[in-house]
Amino acid sequence: MQYYDTGWFGVFVTAMLTVFILFNISRAHRNSESLFIRRIPGLNAIDEAIGRATEMGRPVLMVPGIGGLNAISVQALNIFAHVTKTAARFSTPIRLCLADATVYTVAQEIIRDVYQKEGMIERFHSDSVQFVSDRQFAFAAGVAGMIYREKAAATFFLGEFYAESLIFAESANAVGAIQVAGTTQTTQTPFFIAACDYVLIGDEYYAASAYLTRSPVLVGSLIGQDWCKIAIAALILIGFATNSYQSTQLTSQAYDGKEWTPLAQPRHYLASETWSSLLFNPKSARDVKVERPLEPEQGGSQ
Amino acid sequence: MTYLASFFTAPAASSGLTIRILGTLVFTAIAIFALSQAPTRSRRPIVATVTFFAGLFYVLFYLWPQPYDRKPNEIPLNSVEAVGFWLKDAQPVVSTFGNIIAGSMLGLGIFSLLSVHLRKFVKKQRDWQFSGILLLSMVAMAVIGYWNWIQKIAPGSPDLENVANWGFPQYANDFLFDGMLQQMDAAMFSIIAFYILSAAYRAFRIRSIEATILLSAALIMMLSLMGAVEYQTSELIRNISGNDPNGFINNFTLKEIATWMRTNLQNPSLRAVDFGVGIGALAMGLRLWLSLERGGVSA
Repeated sequence: MQYYDTGWFGVFVTAMLTVFILFNISRAHRNSESLFIRRIPGLNAIDEAIGRATEMGRPVLMVPGIGGLNAISVQALNIFAHVTKTAARFSTPIRLCLADATVYTVAQEIIRDVYQKEGMIERFHSDSVQFVSDRQFAFAAGVAGMIYREKAAATFFLGEFYAESLIFAESANAVGAIQVAGTTQTTQTPFFIAACDYVLIGDEYYAASAYLTRSPVLVGSLIGQDWCKIAIAALILIGFATNSYQSTQLTSQAYDGKEWTPLAQPRHYLASETWSSLLFNPKSARDVKVERPLEPEQGGSQ
Repeated sequence: MTYLASFFTAPAASSGLTIRILGTLVFTAIAIFALSQAPTRSRRPIVATVTFFAGLFYVLFYLWPQPYDRKPNEIPLNSVEAVGFWLKDAQPVVSTFGNIIAGSMLGLGIFSLLSVHLRKFVKKQRDWQFSGILLLSMVAMAVIGYWNWIQKIAPGSPDLENVANWGFPQYANDFLFDGMLQQMDAAMFSIIAFYILSAAYRAFRIRSIEATILLSAALIMMLSLMGAVEYQTSELIRNISGNDPNGFINNFTLKEIATWMRTNLQNPSLRAVDFGVGIGALAMGLRLWLSLERGGVSA
């Protein structure tokens, strides 16, 4: 994301998206009641799933994927905090299975904090939050075994999943659990769609905490994300229109990634020579030579 | 400009390294103690400030123009380059901080495993046998792995890449790691094939318009990858077109339809999803960096 890699436009777009998000957060602080979030079935199903687990007296199982402590797992833990809050009120047992020691430490504190805030710290068991393994398939085997043994009534698979996603989803399906899943990995989303009851697709995953809590900061951020998507869609349309127009025009120069050179015969613009392509892929400065003074002890000019 | 790196690093087995390690431990202990003693209200600004500066480093690292054609022992030409030099030199040191924190957290993870399974094993709770096997495996793997590693790095040790020089720890490590763990990993991975079948069976049942579209798309994709089927249908289309390579009907071979679906339906959809996910991650990152969230992780 360097200036010379993307040109001024890449940095400008990132700055613009950042401003959109921050502006809407401040706007939501002033007036959050009028902001609307569309219905997300996967998130509406959370209460239903916990209610079912309560009726059956079986645990709710949550997995935040196998990634480390990053925005994805933090978002998963935010959603699980909400699930735990509801489960705590009904004394429904929970199991939070983790594959990363750092996420485990954070998760344990969050879950304990949720029980504390609900005034039910005595219902928090250390077994509720478990570090299973940091090896992908050892973790998959451990969680699948837990699902079968404890016959989880509701499962929440939200986070960064890879090949183990289907093992979890099919194991939970085998014990008849209601499943809510969501991942930022587009390669795993089809597996969840095939095997789970409710799936959060794409940015619905990041909309979850705003949807569940209606906190002004989160709702404002969500509106900011929508502005960003509109801006990106507009950029795509502008790129499409300018590229389509330019590719019908003739040029008498060719661009090799560094400079324009004259052509013997005019020809149509290539995709790499269009205005929008050059905007995102500016002239390379990789071969720039810079002479600098050396540090004194090395016998340089200083 | 490499003063940050030299401040945090020292040669192996040197007294400087020992002093730095001890100093870090003392500083960490004081910092944790001070944070735990601080009033709850003032803890949040402290954490928010640390988070902000930690995030600011990486924001600057990615956005600040980095110096071109930098050679060793050079002095920056101006203040912009000076910051770029500093960021570049400091990055490996700062990224090591993350590794150290993750390493220390692993101890807590192991403690969690031990506390859950030791209790189960000692109190003979349900499925205590599994806990026993887990504890035994954990200890065996750690002891054998460490023994093997010590022998590998010992001065004057034989070439352990050669099986002829192997002793008990190498054979045991090979048996436990390659012979058992890797094989069990592979077995778990293989199970996915059966799960795909059962999930596909449920997903592809024609219950709705969406499921029917899903089934049709999957069928075309699968058939297009079957050589015999693809060849036969292509031949059929070629015959219908009268071997005309420019015939419009040539666009309807299984291969063409599958390629069209991939490039015109699948790729744009995935990119759209990726845009949404990317923006979501940006928003989440901003909220965490600026400590704007309340509740959940930021409580």
